[in-house]
Amino acid sequence: MEKQIRETAKELLAGKKVDVIIGYEQGTLPLQATPCFIDNVDDADKLVWNAFCSQNLAKYVHDVIHRHKESQVRVKPEERTKKIVGVVARGCTTRSLVIHLQERQYSRDEIVIIGVPCTGYVSKKKAAIRVDGAEILGSAVSGNDIVLTTAGGDTTAPLQELLSDSCLTCRFNNPIIADVTVGEPAPPMNVDAEYHDVVKFENLPDEERWAYFTKEMAKCMRCFACRNTCPSCYCKVCFAEQSQPNWVGVGVDDTDVQMFQLMRIFHMAGRCVDCGACVEVCPMGVDLRKFLKKLDKDGFELFQSRAGADMEKPPILSSFAMEDRQEFIYEPEEHA
Amino acid sequence: MTENKGQENWVPKIVGIVCNWCTYAGADLAGISRIQYPPNVRLIRVPCTGRINPFYVMKALQEGADGVLVSGCHPGECHYLTGNLSARRKFYMLSNFLSYIGLEKDRVMFTWCSAAEGERFAKVVKGVTERVKALGPASKLVKHL
Ligand code: SF4
Ligand code: SF4
Ligand code: FES
Repeated sequence: MEKQIRETAKELLAGKKVDVIIGYEQGTLPLQATPCFIDNVDDADKLVWNAFCSQNLAKYVHDVIHRHKESQVRVKPEERTKKIVGVVARGCTTRSLVIHLQERQYSRDEIVIIGVPCTGYVSKKKAAIRVDGAEILGSAVSGNDIVLTTAGGDTTAPLQELLSDSCLTCRFNNPIIADVTVGEPAPPMNVDAEYHDVVKFENLPDEERWAYFTKEMAKCMRCFACRNTCPSCYCKVCFAEQSQPNWVGVGVDDTDVQMFQLMRIFHMAGRCVDCGACVEVCPMGVDLRKFLKKLDKDGFELFQSRAGADMEKPPILSSFAMEDRQEFIYEPEEHA
Repeated sequence: MTENKGQENWVPKIVGIVCNWCTYAGADLAGISRIQYPPNVRLIRVPCTGRINPFYVMKALQEGADGVLVSGCHPGECHYLTGNLSARRKFYMLSNFLSYIGLEKDRVMFTWCSAAEGERFAKVVKGVTERVKALGPASKLVKHL
């Protein structure tokens, strides 16, 4: 697959079909492939595809195109250039691209999608737990196993057990849209278990849910890494840093953090593709997915649509129907 | 908004975010018709429920509202045709999400109330006030300075 990605990248670059290809390259840290930007044929051999490609590259597609558009603002209209971006995209990445397209962030002809079937990426958190928090010095996949190297020696574990939660129940591991597809379609993941976690949480009493929410949010130090890595978080001015109005207080009060999280997570309604990128980058291990997945579940159950799953279906909060459900509407009691 | 919390004679403070064209006028009608209803709701007038950012609701809770009531034109009667229809989706998601994190369901309530429904407005306010009273002062998400 890796070879095919490189060949495709070379063809696209040589044929001047794209100006740059965004993909993954070997990182300097174990368990982590690094996003890279390839703009000439010779560099295309740097591209890799493995179980450590955890970031959602749609983020960079948006960044590159918008950076370029800004650079064109002072250029005469007739001399403006377009930048065509190629991107190595698995299922969730293509969903994010669909969201960008639906939200008119760029047009379809500005991107070339190299679709890659995906079998999941390794969760760094799960790997750390597997080695009891020892520093992981190296990682390698061999067959269905992963070998983690620490100062104390090697630990071998089944790859499946270390895959990210988002991957384990992923419904869209094959690309939704693509211009070129490499490899054979990936086998389906355990989609039936998709909402098990959410349902279990829903069935807890109020107080337990509240306790869990506050406990998780108390870990957050507002580094904003989750927002920075999320392809759906592309606002030029984020509410989190806005001062007029000042949505999020800068103090150390717990509720300031809770507000930030509540607002960011809710902003993902109908827009989160469960790529797990935010969970992967969070240095504090906040269980963001527990809350994000709820929005996905409700969006589907109430409005029969999943974020970025279908180019023809508008995002749930950008559309409506007269006959939408409204059981939540309060009808006053008939008292005197 | 926290001054009388913990006191025996505690009365809830409820923020009502209402649409100018219907519920606000409905409240007016209730007023001129001299219908009695509890004075606990402070109204904030917005041009349409479609204008209500879910952040308003969250922020109101953080700033100490014991309850939030959102009300606008009945579906099909929005002054801007569909503002309340997109709002309805947003608020359904919001209502579910706030309960999911453990907030009491009755802290945040949504309803429709037209300009002709002065009586319904009074009933809504009464009902909402009673429910919030039953919950007691808000503690979750409230910022304590
Ligand atoms: S919120 Fe997290 S899981 Fe959802 S799209 Fe953004 S980065 Fe991916
Ligand atoms: S990445 Fe984690 S710690 Fe940083 S702001 Fe997001 S949730 Fe908080
Ligand atoms: S004008 Fe009242 S809800 Fe739109």
